[in-house]
Amino acid sequence: MSLYEEVSVRGYEEFCQAVSDRKGKDIFAYFSGDKDAQGKSWCPDCVKAEPVVRGEMKHLPEDSVFIYCQVGERTYWKDPNNEFKKNLKLSGVPTLLRYGTPQKLVEDECLKSYLVKMMFTEE
Amino acid sequence: GSFYSYNMAAFCKGKHRWKINNLLRVFTRNLTGKCEYDLVVIGGGSGGLACSKEAAQLGLKVAVLDYVEPSAQGTKWGLGGTCVNVGCIPKKLMHQAALLGTALKDAKKFGWQIPGSVCHDWATMADAVQNHVRSLNWGHRVQLQDKKVKYLNLRGSLVNEHTVKGLNKAGKEVRLHAFVPGAAEYGITSDDIFWLRKSPGKTLVVGASYVSLECAGFLTGISLDATVMVRSIALRGFDQQIAGLVTDYMEAYGTRFLWKCVPKRVERLASGALQVTWANASTGSEEKDTFDSVLWAVGRAPETKILGLDKLGVKLNSETGKIIVAADESTSVPNIYAFGDIGEGRPELTPTAVKAGKLLARRLAGHSTELMNYDNVPTTVFTPLEYGCMGLSEEEAERRHGKDGIEVYHAFYKPLEFTVADRDASQCYLKVICERGGHQTILGLHFTGPNAGEVTQGFALGIQCGATYSHLLQTVGIHPTCAEEVVKVSITKRSGLDATVTGC
Repeated sequence: MSLYEEVSVRGYEEFCQAVSDRKGKDIFAYFSGDKDAQGKSWCPDCVKAEPVVRGEMKHLPEDSVFIYCQVGERTYWKDPNNEFKKNLKLSGVPTLLRYGTPQKLVEDECLKSYLVKMMFTEE
Repeated sequence: GSFYSYNMAAFCKGKHRWKINNLLRVFTRNLTGKCEYDLVVIGGGSGGLACSKEAAQLGLKVAVLDYVEPSAQGTKWGLGGTCVNVGCIPKKLMHQAALLGTALKDAKKFGWQIPGSVCHDWATMADAVQNHVRSLNWGHRVQLQDKKVKYLNLRGSLVNEHTVKGLNKAGKEVRLHAFVPGAAEYGITSDDIFWLRKSPGKTLVVGASYVSLECAGFLTGISLDATVMVRSIALRGFDQQIAGLVTDYMEAYGTRFLWKCVPKRVERLASGALQVTWANASTGSEEKDTFDSVLWAVGRAPETKILGLDKLGVKLNSETGKIIVAADESTSVPNIYAFGDIGEGRPELTPTAVKAGKLLARRLAGHSTELMNYDNVPTTVFTPLEYGCMGLSEEEAERRHGKDGIEVYHAFYKPLEFTVADRDASQCYLKVICERGGHQTILGLHFTGPNAGEVTQGFALGIQCGATYSHLLQTVGIHPTCAEEVVKVSITKRSGLDATVTGC
């Protein structure tokens, strides 16, 4: 059972704050479309991928950080100039990435538990 | 490292999808017991990755072992082999950085108001290049996992033709044979140059292979002082007339060449700089100079010793250390195949390794009998003046067909973009070597100029299909381009006429 920190943020500013508060840590970030009042995201792949990603979280390295980030509403996301696309170079949701490294899984890659496990367990 | 002894009974009750004696086992200290595979690939480079993914897609159970032994200077890298990490990819990106430097100089002539002089920052470039390479390492990792290829970051060696042993660190040290005192301690190689965090500064590049010229070329292009030391000739194996044009351009472009010089020793001075002493065969005297870095580009040798090949009787070429292979990539030992750079006599190119690997996978899976065709492989040297070629050099064409058996059409041309930029095009040249008489089949194409790789790739298709000189004449050019000069070429060397062609 590994000890990692889970952080929940909404929007780009909160995400950046969460990252800068944890300098030097191994940070994994999962980006999803906003969930509505019933807890359902407008992004169908995000709905499918979340249980897969959560299912592998037991493999997260010791002392790492897992940031769950809701990016915004569908219209915000569709804008090609939104901060996530411009600054973090995200191309789609869901995206699971390891901050500061080129390691990332995009969209249907997040649905593959063996890829998620690989990212959490390999250097 | 130690290894587990295996149980013959366990081995025999394996899968039956294939002949039983083709089962391969991999065992390591970390895994419990042994794992059985249909195909084990040692080397996760261009060839290894292509072969393993193809084989897995065709239903074989495949494992890839890839391990990077740090260079003498401690440089390490990830999955993907030479091409991705210390070859093609970082090379082309740094070459592009250098070309952009030249473009910036030209830009003023085309009206761009660029204030003052522009300087280059190594760290910014290196960071961007290294990050891109790391994203490729990751991409390959994901691909292997996705295609169900087992990846082991271990040093593979052969125990016997059915068993591969994996070590998680080098079994023994491989010492660099320093025939030149100070060479290993103070020098770097192409394994290191792309991974430097700080600029190499004033650099001496020893060697005249394409690796040497490409490195010296981009170093010059990003405004570093670069010198090339050549023992005898440049670009051995390539058309020597073209090799001369390439080096002439580099000299005019600012790279210093020390011809017929051989390094004697490298010493570190109190200032930290490196002093290199060499013998100049032309003057018969010893000369010296100081540099910040010395880059050895005197050849890449395969790590066959560590594979344990001699134990198994796999025949190697004693001079090169490479594995002797047949047309189907097989070695002297049944069950063991070799392809990519490690094959004796094979082109050291990514596309040939990739194709050979895929075809081998298909043959092993019983899906095909097609062999790799190593003839007419096009390639490009990414020196400041790029050189693209396919087929025979003029020397080789003469050797095979006789001087009277070939017709060489050639032209010196000037790229339109060079005109306003006021750039010297003296070395922009092309030649098409054809059989004389008969169909005048094209035997070789050589082109120096901008975007030589892009130009040559297109013509490679035609030559692959048996293009003749008359096909060339029937092809309409695209204007204004450099490539159109290939289809317009009409002056023969034999005529002795001036081969300079003018644009419109």
